[in-house]
Amino acid sequence: MSRPALPWILACLLLMVVLLAVGLRVGSYETSYSLISRALLHYNPQDAAQLVLIELRLPRLLLALLAGAGLAVSGYLMQAMVNNSLADPYLLGTASGGALGASTVFTFFPALTITGLYLPPLAALLGALGTTLVVVIVGSRRGRIVPAQLLLAGVAVGSLTTSLGGLLTFLAATEEKLRTITFWALGGFDKASWAILPYPAVALGVGLLLLGFLHNSLNLLLLGEERATALGLPVARTRWLLLLIASGLTGCVVALAGPIGFVGLVVPHITRWLLGTVSRGNLVFCALLGGNFLLLCDLLARLLYPPAGLPVGLVTALFGVPFFVYLLRKQGS
Amino acid sequence: MLRFFRSVATARKLLPLLLLATACQPEKPATTEAAAPQHLRDDLGRELTVPARPRRIMSLAASMTEMLYAVADTATIVARTQVCDYPAAALRKPVINSYPLDIERLVALKPEVVFTTEGITSLTDAQRLQELGIPVYYQRYTKVEDVFRGLNDLGRILGRQPQARHLTDSLRAELGRIASATPPTASKPRVLAITWSDPIYVYGQNTLFTDKIALAGGQNAVVEKFAQPYPALTREYILKLNPDIIIGGTFGKMDSTFFRLYPELKRIRAYQTRRIYRVTDDLMSRPNPRVVEGVRELQQVVSGS
Repeated sequence: MSRPALPWILACLLLMVVLLAVGLRVGSYETSYSLISRALLHYNPQDAAQLVLIELRLPRLLLALLAGAGLAVSGYLMQAMVNNSLADPYLLGTASGGALGASTVFTFFPALTITGLYLPPLAALLGALGTTLVVVIVGSRRGRIVPAQLLLAGVAVGSLTTSLGGLLTFLAATEEKLRTITFWALGGFDKASWAILPYPAVALGVGLLLLGFLHNSLNLLLLGEERATALGLPVARTRWLLLLIASGLTGCVVALAGPIGFVGLVVPHITRWLLGTVSRGNLVFCALLGGNFLLLCDLLARLLYPPAGLPVGLVTALFGVPFFVYLLRKQGS
Repeated sequence: MLRFFRSVATARKLLPLLLLATACQPEKPATTEAAAPQHLRDDLGRELTVPARPRRIMSLAASMTEMLYAVADTATIVARTQVCDYPAAALRKPVINSYPLDIERLVALKPEVVFTTEGITSLTDAQRLQELGIPVYYQRYTKVEDVFRGLNDLGRILGRQPQARHLTDSLRAELGRIASATPPTASKPRVLAITWSDPIYVYGQNTLFTDKIALAGGQNAVVEKFAQPYPALTREYILKLNPDIIIGGTFGKMDSTFFRLYPELKRIRAYQTRRIYRVTDDLMSRPNPRVVEGVRELQQVVSGS
């Protein structure tokens, strides 16, 4: 059931360093590895190339890393919570809710700021968490989460928010607004800055810390509700806690990088294939793999379509799905 | 600064006079009624057949409505779209929603030909209209000269050649005066024109802006050719461009919105020298008979007066 996780985790860390180093070199400015090391060790903001490296490229890469890690962990938790490997982080309508929040701002507040406060991420976070709340209320019965009902509620409420978002798109009228709404929904890291990085970082840190204590409960939950209860697990409370962590993480990522698909569905699967279902290192590995996956996708996006890059949500599916199909076939044979 | 206001004022005065002049031409007697229909090829290379002297016409683009008002007999214009707001006389025409296109209402008004601009009306909509027997004529403008040619083409199709010729001659003369007023400096300031701030969209190399800013004595900061006319740019790309001038709003407005969102961009020369300007939206974005007025406005921006 379980294989040693440490070698895999170390391999992931190594890959991360390589991807970060390569990622730092891709952009409009010519940069070298010696410039990168100079910028990291003796940062001089007067040098435009160093400024670009530290203020633009590095936060972008770190946001990709955190978003990938957040979505992968969140997907892992959702799959454990409802005990269904088809679950993904957007199960509870987070993506469509976030999109609805952001579209509302794009349509009705073209200035995008109120007293200097940048609205889209806030609105997306509100939309994402608000929708999640509605789904949970509809999907729970007397304080207990009923997985099947939760899945259905997620689909239904998701359809509703998607339609409302569609209505706003229809009302948006100008081409620029339409483009903004569309591109937001495909996800991207172009607005990354040091100021926003603490939010996903803290969410991920707190989430992983809590999960460190929940490790055994998480594995018991995978045995199914009846056996987990028989083995003394407070199933209802565990599910609520997982739900809270997962939706907080997803909401944070969606608010800052848009609803990037596919990562949260697939990375948990790959994790379990490689390490087994109950390994202690599963969550850390899942986070690292998710981060690396989005780093790689962002790198490809920027290499394929400079300078702005393809929306990363397109790349995750374009490159992720063939790989996933390959794994499925290989596992089946 | 005073000179700027005065010249804009003259340009503003000039155009209604021209319009009046064209509108006052006596109509020819209807002897050409029986003339053979015109077989035309529009700017996109699409072939279409238009009556010899269309008496019911309309446009599906705000800029094209301005073109029609400058050349056509205004009584023949049967409708406008919700975005057509110039000249003021256009506001009195019935409104047809252009996006999404209200085909039923359009057909009910029985236009004999519909004019539009590339990129504004979808080819699918045009195809639908053609199937319903309404030819759609597209124009495309990449240079200021194309706008003049477009006006003359409209004049030819609508049987209003002298009016169109008169208008374009005076517009060309006006443009010549602007060119002679532009000091022949060695360095042409590089101007970045921003259309949207999130994501950052700008006027690319293959837009009319490139020619207009060149005529005004500057150059489009975006030299690279992208597939889209209005490419999305990264902050890094704009830092590297380091434009001398930015068009997109007043300095105060841009400082509190754009540069608040992207503080790293405060390093660029345009911000450091506060050469950030607002220009009239419609003059900037619409390829219309007021194009020369737009060039004049850009010239004020470039010369910094």
